[in-house]
Amino acid sequence: MRYPQRRGRLSVPGRKVRLATAAMLVATAVAACGGGQDGSAPKAPATIPELTKDPLTLSFIWFDWPPAHALEAFANAEYTKQRPNVTIKVNTVPNANWHDAMFTQFAAHKTDFDIPILDSQHIGEAVTNGNILDITDFVKKNIDVKAYNPYLLAAYGQFPQAETGKRDENASLYGLPLLGDTWTMIYRKDLIGDKPPQTWDEMISVAEKCQADNPGVSGLAFHQANGSDAAAVTYNTVNGVYGGNLWDSKKRKIEGVLNDAAGQQAMDVLVNKMKPLTAKGSGNWFIDEVNAAVAQGKACIAFNWIAASGGLLDPKQSTLGATREQILEKLGFATLPSQKTNLVPLGGMGMHVSAYSPEAKQAEALNFMKWFEQADIQKKWAAAGGVPSRTDALESPEFLNAQPFNQVYTDSVPRMRDMWNVPEYARLVDIENTNVNAALNGAKTPKDALDDIAKEQQAVLNASNRKGGGGL
Amino acid sequence: MSDLVPLTTDHPGQVASATPPAPGRSRRLSDRWLAVGFISPALLLLLAMSVFPLLWALYLSFTDYSATRGGPAQFVWFENYTAILTSAQVHLRALTTLIYVVGAVTLQTVLGFAIAYLISRRTHGRGLLTTLFLVPMMLSPVVVGLFWRFMLDAQFGVINSMLGSLGLGQVEWLTRQQTALISLIVVDTWQWTPFIMLIALAGLTAVPKYLYEAASIDRASEWFRFRTITLPLVWPLLLIAVLFRAIEAFRLFDLVYILTSGGPGVSTETLSFHVYKVAFLGFNTGTASAYGILMVLVVIVLTQLYLRYLNKLKED
Repeated sequence: MRYPQRRGRLSVPGRKVRLATAAMLVATAVAACGGGQDGSAPKAPATIPELTKDPLTLSFIWFDWPPAHALEAFANAEYTKQRPNVTIKVNTVPNANWHDAMFTQFAAHKTDFDIPILDSQHIGEAVTNGNILDITDFVKKNIDVKAYNPYLLAAYGQFPQAETGKRDENASLYGLPLLGDTWTMIYRKDLIGDKPPQTWDEMISVAEKCQADNPGVSGLAFHQANGSDAAAVTYNTVNGVYGGNLWDSKKRKIEGVLNDAAGQQAMDVLVNKMKPLTAKGSGNWFIDEVNAAVAQGKACIAFNWIAASGGLLDPKQSTLGATREQILEKLGFATLPSQKTNLVPLGGMGMHVSAYSPEAKQAEALNFMKWFEQADIQKKWAAAGGVPSRTDALESPEFLNAQPFNQVYTDSVPRMRDMWNVPEYARLVDIENTNVNAALNGAKTPKDALDDIAKEQQAVLNASNRKGGGGL
Repeated sequence: MSDLVPLTTDHPGQVASATPPAPGRSRRLSDRWLAVGFISPALLLLLAMSVFPLLWALYLSFTDYSATRGGPAQFVWFENYTAILTSAQVHLRALTTLIYVVGAVTLQTVLGFAIAYLISRRTHGRGLLTTLFLVPMMLSPVVVGLFWRFMLDAQFGVINSMLGSLGLGQVEWLTRQQTALISLIVVDTWQWTPFIMLIALAGLTAVPKYLYEAASIDRASEWFRFRTITLPLVWPLLLIAVLFRAIEAFRLFDLVYILTSGGPGVSTETLSFHVYKVAFLGFNTGTASAYGILMVLVVIVLTQLYLRYLNKLKED
């Protein structure tokens, strides 16, 4: 009696339910499979399409730091004079989530931002996946490219990657400069004197003496954390200064290049000469921690990104003086010391247009970019706390007088070198970060760390045709 | 009497189906359809949010699919699984996870049971004490991670400041290989000991008082009473708490992300943290899916073995 009844109960609605469930699973699977792209970046029109007169919010995505807030305030104050129906919203995420926040949305082929602000090294990944618009034709028609140092234009927009210091005029452009940046050396004038050290070796010996003369103050403070690109940029900087190379881009070769004699010397200098001059427990320091050490008078010489240095002059955040002038009596800003070369790290970011943004917003984004790259707007951006990229703005009194470290940026532009701008960037930088961090914190010897970086990075570059197990 | 029989049946549906539809109800709207109608929303939600993603991940785990690169997924069959199981990187993370799970769960069990035992012996203020001890468990792991990160900071942290006032040197809690994993275990223990305590307390209060009274009449020592009455009766319940905690600890991600980012180097990278990197740094979705499926399998197999042991314990 029971058995036939159970069968009967399942047979009427049960079969239909199962069929419906199976159909739903198949439909969802088909939907999930669909939407794949061929991977080429779609092209933006050369001429800006007609702009909407309806209210429109133009959204950016960046990580949470002072320039992001400065950009939102600046754009809402200035751009709305020309486009009163537009509101600018700069969405921010923690620095460590920046890449994930953008690329997970790209993966979904739907973004809640119209202008992603990509690190220069993210461009390759975004272009290869077709996530951002190719704006080559737009730039040709609307942007005065001669107003820029060619390398800056290339670094924030060109793919394939530009050779250091050069721009390939035949290469495609996918972005325009938003914020320039590089490292500045921050030094205590009251402890080491007004003249900053000129060579890397001199800098180390000055820091050593300063630390010995001033108990409680460490000789150096720099980025060592294993998140974002913190420890990697530190090593890359020392590597460049001591004449090393990150890779041979034409042969896609890292092993044997990164860990050559110059590379080994750079790692030795970083771990055995610089690390002992840092504060105990500073092995997880990044931008904020370095700034805190300087503001609290705990470091003789520090290295940090220029765009993140504004807070150092705020008396509310500093123990070095009650006014900006008093702080500036103690703090000096200089370009990085040179050694075998005078290379400095290229920082900053470009702005791009999301391929998944609605057409009206893409048109507005292009209009914003054209507006932003004008000479007078770049000077206003400089006065508002931004770091512009046009040469005329970089040499303008509005920029040079805005902050004491702005001259450092202008002087550093011809000395810049970037990392790898390839689709595998996120993995390459993670390998370098974790290994340099391991060396700085005693978990690996400098030689082992560098050899491991070269070996693992080379494996990532070689794995493009590998079947299965990618990413391990 | 005969009317009561159908009500006691263990198949209520049988009885319900025999009941004629209420007057005015559509003939098509039978109880079966009503049941299906009520269950469908929850079932659809479960299918869409749990079953489909799991099946989809299983499918992807046999392919080289990448969420960002797009394009069709090519079958690589067991290549992802082979690569994961033979990877030295994965073995290293598995060892780290094992040390973490064993360290944290053991510490939490000992401390949780000890606190519960002490609280159970109190007659006054037991409720207040229990509530206070439960506070860490109610906090978000991200909040816990952040304030412990500040407290453990070698330069500005309150822990080193206290050690300094005792004349002890600074300890690099989060940046040295030897101390970083210990710090993670300590923070996890701080947050989750109350969970074990709560379960153990429930077990302790359920021990019949007459057993202790009988033991007292026999002049049994405190240790004898603990060993022969308390522990055997609470042990099965405690093991269930240990099972829950072990599964949770095996999946640890948030504390690692906030406190150490897996550092120094990769010395505190757990399996979950590694899966995150595989999935989101290179967007190797196929590999990450296989990695996730393997982790689920490990949990299922270990849980089954554990439950068998629990059942055996119950039978004994």
